[in-house]
Amino acid sequence: MNRIKEGVIRRLKLKDSWAICFVLGLVMMNYPFISIFNKPILPFGIPLLYLYLLFGWLFSIFIIYLFSRAAAKDSDTGGRP
Amino acid sequence: MLGANLVWGTALLYIALLFLVAYYADQRQKAGRSITANPAVYSLSIAVYATSWTYYGSVGKAATTGMDFLPIYLGPTLTAFSWWFLLKKIVRISKENNITSIADFISSRYGRSQWLGAIITVITLMGIMPYIALQLRAVSTSFTIITGYQDLHSSLTRGIQIASPHPGLFTALLLAVFSVLFGARHLVSAERHEGLVAAIALESIVKLVAMLSVGIFITYGVFDGVSDLFTRMNRSDPALLARLTTLDGSGENSYSSMCSLLVLSMGAVMLLPRQFQVMVLENAQESHLNSAAWRFPAYLFLINLFIMPIALAGILLTGSSAGADYFVLTLPMQQGHPWLALVAFLGGFSASAGMVMVESVAVSTMLLNHVLMPVVVRFKPRGWFPFLLINLKRLGIALVILLGYLYQSIVGESYMLANMGLVSFSAAIQFAPALIGGLYWPRGNKKGAIAGLLLGFAVWSYTLLFPSLMQAGQWHTDILLNGPFGLALFKPQALFGLTGLDPWTHALFWSMFLNISAYLALSIMYGQEEKEKEQVAKFVQVFAPENGTPHWETKRLSKPVTIVQFVNLMSKFIGEPQAHAAISDYLGEREIDGKGGVSEFELPNLKRFVEKTLAASLGGAAAGAVLESFLSDIGSRMESVYDIFSTVRTSRDQSREALFVRLRASEIMNRSLELDIIMEDLLALLLREFKLDLCVIRLLNDQGVLQVRSHKGEGGERITAEDRILEIDTHVGEAFLGRRTEFFNDTTYITKPIAKEIFRREGIKSFAHIPISSEGSPPVGILSVFSRSIIGLFTEQFVELLESLAGQLAQAVRIVAEREAREGERRQKEAALLENARVTRDLELAKQIQLSLLPESPPRLPGLDIACRCTPATHVGGDYYDFFQRGDDLVDFVMADVSGHSVGAALIMVETRSVLRAQMQSVRSNKEILRVLNDLLYDDLTRAELFITMFCGKYDGATRTLSYANAGHTRPLLFRGGKWQELDAEGLILGVEHDVLFEEKSLRLETGDLLFVYTDGIIEAERGSGELFGVERLCDLLSGMLDQEPERIIERVMAEVTAFSSPSPLQDDISMVVMKVVKNGAKSVSC
Repeated sequence: MNRIKEGVIRRLKLKDSWAICFVLGLVMMNYPFISIFNKPILPFGIPLLYLYLLFGWLFSIFIIYLFSRAAAKDSDTGGRP
Repeated sequence: MLGANLVWGTALLYIALLFLVAYYADQRQKAGRSITANPAVYSLSIAVYATSWTYYGSVGKAATTGMDFLPIYLGPTLTAFSWWFLLKKIVRISKENNITSIADFISSRYGRSQWLGAIITVITLMGIMPYIALQLRAVSTSFTIITGYQDLHSSLTRGIQIASPHPGLFTALLLAVFSVLFGARHLVSAERHEGLVAAIALESIVKLVAMLSVGIFITYGVFDGVSDLFTRMNRSDPALLARLTTLDGSGENSYSSMCSLLVLSMGAVMLLPRQFQVMVLENAQESHLNSAAWRFPAYLFLINLFIMPIALAGILLTGSSAGADYFVLTLPMQQGHPWLALVAFLGGFSASAGMVMVESVAVSTMLLNHVLMPVVVRFKPRGWFPFLLINLKRLGIALVILLGYLYQSIVGESYMLANMGLVSFSAAIQFAPALIGGLYWPRGNKKGAIAGLLLGFAVWSYTLLFPSLMQAGQWHTDILLNGPFGLALFKPQALFGLTGLDPWTHALFWSMFLNISAYLALSIMYGQEEKEKEQVAKFVQVFAPENGTPHWETKRLSKPVTIVQFVNLMSKFIGEPQAHAAISDYLGEREIDGKGGVSEFELPNLKRFVEKTLAASLGGAAAGAVLESFLSDIGSRMESVYDIFSTVRTSRDQSREALFVRLRASEIMNRSLELDIIMEDLLALLLREFKLDLCVIRLLNDQGVLQVRSHKGEGGERITAEDRILEIDTHVGEAFLGRRTEFFNDTTYITKPIAKEIFRREGIKSFAHIPISSEGSPPVGILSVFSRSIIGLFTEQFVELLESLAGQLAQAVRIVAEREAREGERRQKEAALLENARVTRDLELAKQIQLSLLPESPPRLPGLDIACRCTPATHVGGDYYDFFQRGDDLVDFVMADVSGHSVGAALIMVETRSVLRAQMQSVRSNKEILRVLNDLLYDDLTRAELFITMFCGKYDGATRTLSYANAGHTRPLLFRGGKWQELDAEGLILGVEHDVLFEEKSLRLETGDLLFVYTDGIIEAERGSGELFGVERLCDLLSGMLDQEPERIIERVMAEVTAFSSPSPLQDDISMVVMKVVKNGAKSVSC
């Protein structure tokens, strides 16, 4: 588990991956992607869109967490800003 | 309902707690053990983003329009991806430039423009009004709800009959007081307000706890969980649920509104003044950014978790969405938990108070630095300035809150809380193009920024601010419906026919469109000023690593300013002790010269440092203005140095130009060996490449005077004609004696009177004297360059280049001098060798002559054995012997020795021989011969300063008689019967006196007699020990050989003498004539 984590963190060091995640986030929060979830159904009794946004949010926070760990390692080793 | 006093009291207690925390944090900061300088507190302080909008307004929005409350918090999460470089860049720049606010940041980037700063401040002030209004309204309304009284009423005021004029006034006043106390205690706005940060962090915790407790209570206490809520809602009003939880195609709660709200919040989280303040200015360490990047979104997630449930619960419990804004309060009260409601109230109060405090302080700082300071600065700084400034700041805080209050009283009830907040967001986003462009686009310029901002602001006011005021008031609402003057195209909420959008998207679209277009267009069309260009590097390339090339100064102060003057200026604004501390910090490693100034090249840096220090208190633009007016008062100004390298080549790389010139110079040095040519070519190079007017090289001559050796350029006779003595009165002398370059960039400021006169007459504007010396040696001369047209010609880089050229010249001079010395030596050696050769040749010649004089063989005579030999020495000897046979039995013989070893001596001997031969024609006696010879040769001998020793003898074989005379010659030896005697006769050596009488003697010889005539070469042969051969040794030697043949005797003697003197060669010639008297008949001759 640790190895996977380390691997992911190292991958994320690429400066470009931030741009990818950013754009991805933008895309996933907007039309047309969001229209996939724009239906009045309630899985687990919770509206789909609401569920989608909340979980998406949580997931993004997790990604940012990984990023910050990677960036911290970067600055530890004196990497690029 | 709770008692007003209870609520009031709780609120005050809470404030008191905040104060305590703030005070504690301040104390810890002073002690150096800060409690706020850690990532957790940092992240919590950023959570001031969640105000009572989050608290009340989100619920209201969720209950009325649905999901579109969420993007306000999703946006900041998305931007958190960019923090680790975007925010980091902003933080780094702000720290390095002592930025005090967002207006400062943007205006600094665009050349410290005061106009830009003022515009941003005004936009901010107008834009923040709705936001503050919403906080004030939230507080007062929540108070009313929870107590039933209007505003922060208390039992005290009931008796005093103060009709609380408008709801919220007390709130406003209270918050104003707190803000002043927290944020305006001292003037330096670039410092971190640790107390404020600590208080906000605490408030964030309170907010979250309160929200979560209400949420949990309602969701799990009143209902059975989140899904229960949704299911029940679905059952009771599915249409409403669907509307709330899905997005429409257009209008509110649509895709477009999601998108625009996302964008708005992404901008607002960084651009709102309070956000900039806590995220950038209050940042303690850049590393905190990394952890704040996920903590802050996590906080937002938590605080939003129960918004939707509470909204739905409210609809379910109250039956409608009226008053949805305050569900957080009303629901607990409705459910019979007033204490929870109090907690909720505190949470809301906390949220509002936090926002108002930070926002008003931030905006007031901007007001002070960008609107008021430029005015204040026009007056002369007085002693009471610091006092004035701090109170202006406090007034500013009050003003900001007052404006918010005014807006609230106008708009107040008609707008939902969240919508008021969105108006502010839309204003804040106008800064985005100028900011992002400023950070990443080097070409973005001031005009573009100003134009963009003005246009965006205009659109914003027209499409959002204006309608909000009108909708609230009783003004002509048909403008909203039909456009101004009936022009439907200009309908504030459907400009140019763009319909179907919610107001935010609409405003965002048009304002950004015009803003960005104007920014791009004007930035491309117009160029940048000097100041801007300086700033571009500081902003766009703040992370660029320091590369090896040194940063060359491009500015100079036209008139020097001393450190004391700068310190005085600073003290007027920041107080004396701080000014002194700042200056000593700066000067730590730099040198100060005797007059309390720094070197000319350091002055611009000093000026920049003072400006930066003042900017911490006054803001960048104001500080710049202060310095400008200060310098112009003194009569100095910043001007560009002359970019000399732009005249050399079209390429822009200065160090390459310098290298090029150095290479040319090296070529010149190595091309020729003539110093004059080198100097001429070098001066021509300087004149040509740098467009100087006059160049002179002076070298030190043997008398210690600097003599002009070469000059190029026009005019300057007085300069080029005169030599310079090494004295300190002239600049040349000073440069030479001090071994450093003396230069003046503006001759109007020099003090030496004679020099001043010369320069005035010659029209010289700037000059430099560079000592010509190589490392470590004393200078050998001075290189002087003059310009008649340019001031500020001598930059640090140019002076370095000239010094390097002078160094090369010194090398060349040294090489030439050495070469000449070697030449001289060589010539001397050659002459000596030549002389030597000549001498040797002369000696050879003389030897040849001498040898040619000697007879080949001795004469034959009956009864006489004669042997003779002459062995010349390495040096010419000058020995001579001759025989003259007269008949069978008579023979005359002569032996002579000339003093001196030269051709002259040899020639004298030739003359002597000729004279002798001539004299021998007639018969004379020996003494007669000598006397005649002396007379004849005296003159020549005296003139040549030579002498001759001679032995003259006659032998008659018939009578066996030997007669002889001696003129100082080595006395011949006669051996008879084992004994020997010297044959002596009186007489001076020839050439000493005129008339000399010689004695003649005669002697009868017997058989077996041995006559040994010789020259002093034998007896004066020297051994290594200094011992001479001597007569004794010779006689002993000869005594042992009396029976030998004369030839053998000669050989023996020769061998002995040679052996004696070896290993040294014989110094003098050795001549011997040996005569042995034998019986008649026994003839044997050998020679």
